[in-house]
Amino acid sequence: MEPSHASRTLRDIVAVLVVAIFMFPILWWGLNSIKPYSAIFDKDGPVYLDFEPTLDNYRVTMMGVSRVELAIQDGGGTYGAGGASSYDSRQTILDSIIVSVGSTIISVFLATLAAYALSRMAMRGKQHFIFWVLSQRFMPPIAIVIPLLFMFRDMGLRDTHFGLILAHVLINLPLAVLLLKSFFDDVPKDVDEAAMIDGATRWQSFRRVVLPMVRGGVAATAVLCFIFSWTEFMLSLYLTTSIRTLPVKITTFVTSTGTEWGFITALGTTAILPAFVFILLVQRHLVRGLTLGSLKE
Amino acid sequence: MSDIATVAAATERRFRMPRFLSSEHPFPWLLPLISMLIVFGIYPLLYAFWMSLHQRNRIKRVDEFVWFKNWGTAFGDDRVWNAFQVTMTYTLSALVIQLALGLAIAMLLDSDRKGYGILRGLMTLPLVVPPAVAGMMFLLMEDGSFGVLSHYLYAFGLLSPERPILATGSTALMGVLLADIWQWTPFMVLIMLAGLRALPKEPFEAAAIDGANSWQMFRRLTLPMLSKVIAVAVLIRGVDLFRIFDYVYVMTSGGPGTVTETMSAYAGRIFMTGNFPYAATLALLTLLIIFVVANIFIQVFKVRF
Repeated sequence: MEPSHASRTLRDIVAVLVVAIFMFPILWWGLNSIKPYSAIFDKDGPVYLDFEPTLDNYRVTMMGVSRVELAIQDGGGTYGAGGASSYDSRQTILDSIIVSVGSTIISVFLATLAAYALSRMAMRGKQHFIFWVLSQRFMPPIAIVIPLLFMFRDMGLRDTHFGLILAHVLINLPLAVLLLKSFFDDVPKDVDEAAMIDGATRWQSFRRVVLPMVRGGVAATAVLCFIFSWTEFMLSLYLTTSIRTLPVKITTFVTSTGTEWGFITALGTTAILPAFVFILLVQRHLVRGLTLGSLKE
Repeated sequence: MSDIATVAAATERRFRMPRFLSSEHPFPWLLPLISMLIVFGIYPLLYAFWMSLHQRNRIKRVDEFVWFKNWGTAFGDDRVWNAFQVTMTYTLSALVIQLALGLAIAMLLDSDRKGYGILRGLMTLPLVVPPAVAGMMFLLMEDGSFGVLSHYLYAFGLLSPERPILATGSTALMGVLLADIWQWTPFMVLIMLAGLRALPKEPFEAAAIDGANSWQMFRRLTLPMLSKVIAVAVLIRGVDLFRIFDYVYVMTSGGPGTVTETMSAYAGRIFMTGNFPYAATLALLTLLIIFVVANIFIQVFKVRF
């Protein structure tokens, strides 16, 4: 039973419409980031395209132009609503990159070794061990924040990049270990057995034979770890005060005197764009990643 | 025996390491992971538990050991019960809506025709928006005076400007849910699509020959064959929903009153007041609930990793 031409067209229209609805919040967000102040807060109704696009919001968040300078350029009017908070976010972007890259490297390193062993070697209680790793994923971040705060104080890691990196490693490990295990599982066991019969040690057969075969899987895992660290909120919010990652910095633009939607949307767009680029790189492994390796596409 | 072999054998004897330290044994492979999980996973939890058995004495400025007093307080705390109910309502409604929408959209987008690949790719974008930013997106759209969503809700008479969606008790949780639904329905779509694409064709052809209509095929074939996929999706999403914090913190901070205050949000609020032992108790209580329910779910539905 072939669907008719009309029903096909109807389906196309509905499909495009549904996807458009899901894209709307992102487009609206991006649109607001290039709106002048008055167009964002128009109470007569939403402003779609009837405004002069401006990069002022990006100049404040990304280039360190102060809000006062903009107001003077504007001809003495006030620009924005907030008080004297700092909107220059260049340090924030750097902090975010340091934390995400650092935690990704450590997570992938620890997870690759462990995943190989879990995929290849016989051991007692393996399922229990895997479940223990998985159960880290169940932990509400708040349960770990409180003790970590005190531990970091005693270890001298309070308010440091390294402390936050370690916390992000902890939440990324279950994903990294289970996902990499599923990639190692895809490589037939004969491969390293053949290498070992030829005289290679475990380590050599891992390093020279199996690891090169799962290169794509390691890359996909790294990208996902990066994204989850990049978007993480609660640990960064509570564990550090002088180091601000992007999602936390954005929420500080909500002040008691007003919400700086212009700067928020500009910095938010800056935070989203790298994630969009990265997600396109791992489209193929996304389902596997989001289900910690239990479903394959 | 040749000289070389003798030397090699002697060297080997001298430098032989215990077997569990060689690369043939899983121990050295797992050691870095295990140490990391013990130091930053197990130890903090024990530490949190130890904290939950104490109480701050403000006068003497010391933490006194009070056994399970905080736990007793938690069970008698109306706000904990409120937070539990809010979290359950949030989790269950989000799960049902996201599952239904996700399955529907997945079936809609499951086509090999031109352009559908792009649509499926676009659908994944909301997933990588930082949740705090997604919360802000909806805060902007749901703003009582200039929000675009509020504007149309007012225009269609679904809400009135005197009762903004996030500032009104009866609609605030729905307002927060919208952000969650927007961000995580694509997760369901993606997983369901993977499930749909893996379905065998033959049973459907056979059913079509037998004269089954599309609803019967969906009910008797598609749904049962997707059950494993659905179980995994419900487990992962359910856990994340139950520890929900970001949207609530960004959009309502638990208000108005406590109508959107989830378990994590309440624990976070107590944490900010400086009552660490009680915050630790609430956090552990949340963890305990998740752990028990997730464990049962994994056993019953035989989810494998």
